[in-house]
Amino acid sequence: MSLRSELEEVLKELKATGDIEASAIVSRDGLLIAADISSNVNAEAFAAMSATMLGAAETAMSELGKGLPDRVVVESSDGKIVATGAGDRALLVVMTSPKANLGLILLQLGKASKKVEELLG
Amino acid sequence: MKAVTGIPVLDEVVEEFPESKTLTYWIDPEVEGNAFAMQTIYTNLERGFKCAYVTVTISPESVISEFEEFGWEVKEFENFEIVDLYSSYVGFPSKCKYNANPINLEEVEVLMKKVLEKFDIVFLPASSIIDVCGEEALRCIKDWCSLAKSIGKRVVLSFVAWPYSKEVKDGIIEISNALVKVGGIHHRVILGYYYGLVKADWKNVKSRAILFKLVRPGGVRAYIPKILVTGPYNAGKSSFVHAISNRAVSVDRLGTTVALDHGHLEYKGFSIDLFGTPGQERFDPILRMLGKEALGVILVVDSTKPETFPRAKQMLESVTHFGLPYVVAANKQDLPNALPPEEIKRRMVLPNDVPVIPISAVKGEGVYKVIDALLDLLIWREGEDELEI
Repeated sequence: MSLRSELEEVLKELKATGDIEASAIVSRDGLLIAADISSNVNAEAFAAMSATMLGAAETAMSELGKGLPDRVVVESSDGKIVATGAGDRALLVVMTSPKANLGLILLQLGKASKKVEELLG
Repeated sequence: MKAVTGIPVLDEVVEEFPESKTLTYWIDPEVEGNAFAMQTIYTNLERGFKCAYVTVTISPESVISEFEEFGWEVKEFENFEIVDLYSSYVGFPSKCKYNANPINLEEVEVLMKKVLEKFDIVFLPASSIIDVCGEEALRCIKDWCSLAKSIGKRVVLSFVAWPYSKEVKDGIIEISNALVKVGGIHHRVILGYYYGLVKADWKNVKSRAILFKLVRPGGVRAYIPKILVTGPYNAGKSSFVHAISNRAVSVDRLGTTVALDHGHLEYKGFSIDLFGTPGQERFDPILRMLGKEALGVILVVDSTKPETFPRAKQMLESVTHFGLPYVVAANKQDLPNALPPEEIKRRMVLPNDVPVIPISAVKGEGVYKVIDALLDLLIWREGEDELEI
């Protein structure tokens, strides 16, 4: 199995959690590595802005002496976006429906991020 | 040594604070403007001039500690004296060599004559004197300024522009050889502070309003809240921000900026905040966001890569609406195949008066010339916003 399909497999498993509308594995500099995104979302922009968001949050936290954040959660009435690091070179981001159970999603996201980190080793 | 105002930019405009002149800081009541006169006095103390500071509404001890808040240890200067019109007004014995009761204007007049003869530069809190002694004190202030003029001394007035009578306001304007307005920028709340020269009769010049902030310690710093540093991918924007800043933070991943660089710079009395943008197209939404409310733009280009110039120009267009001033930093001049600035200007088809400055951000060469060129455009460009009282 190719690396790409293994990464896509991780995203597919993540989707099985439910309430996940889109997910992507993105390099830290904002390039799309693998995605499970419907065609009405601009995947490239989504990838770039996820990297901006997580990067800015990490710098803000570490500049304030609070270490690295585990994740960035953005909530709106139309849904949620959660971005988390997956090793030094990539990050994992998901977009959920508004009613999604965040606890369960965070748990699955943590597991998935470790898998991505191992795969990209 | 010449006496000066000690205020950034102002000194470059007026060049000196000549003898026999009265310099007035005309301060909006909601602005903390005391620091201007204090900075003028302290700068000239350091230059060896004998300075006297008149106080009426605060104690001499408080005056000293106000100076010290800005890091100005006036107590260590033998050429400094406080003229105490406060202690006897509130009924305390004065510890100062020069003191009088402001209720007795004749006593004050005798004292001030002595002070003006003895000292080179005398500070008078004009509005506080009027508050304590009534508007008739304007006559005395006029007399002191005329006396100073006739014997070659200098007077620094600070006038907080409460709604005094027209006579008082006109009187203050009339005796001022130089007038500097210190005000606030209103937009429901005060967003910032500015100062600017309204007149200086020894120099025929106009300056535009300059934003400032008070730094403790430090005093009055001309303030430029936002300079945008933009340019194509890998042009050296982050290197430039880091080369020039006293402190800088970058959000970069895998060698490229993904969010922004922020740098802070203290330079020539200016306090400047720089914002570096990402260069790659996928981050363009961030570029537009960071470009809002910038006061000037530094466009960094890679002098060895003319193929990136169209992208550079497109980025410039998206951030320089409304005639924002900009300069071009022609980076990587340390590389052998770097194009000279004139050639870059020609290939980019830039107007002739746009400064293109050769730099090497990694070596830190020429970087301050970029700031100089931008400050030139920001401060000295023909201003349409002429100041009035």
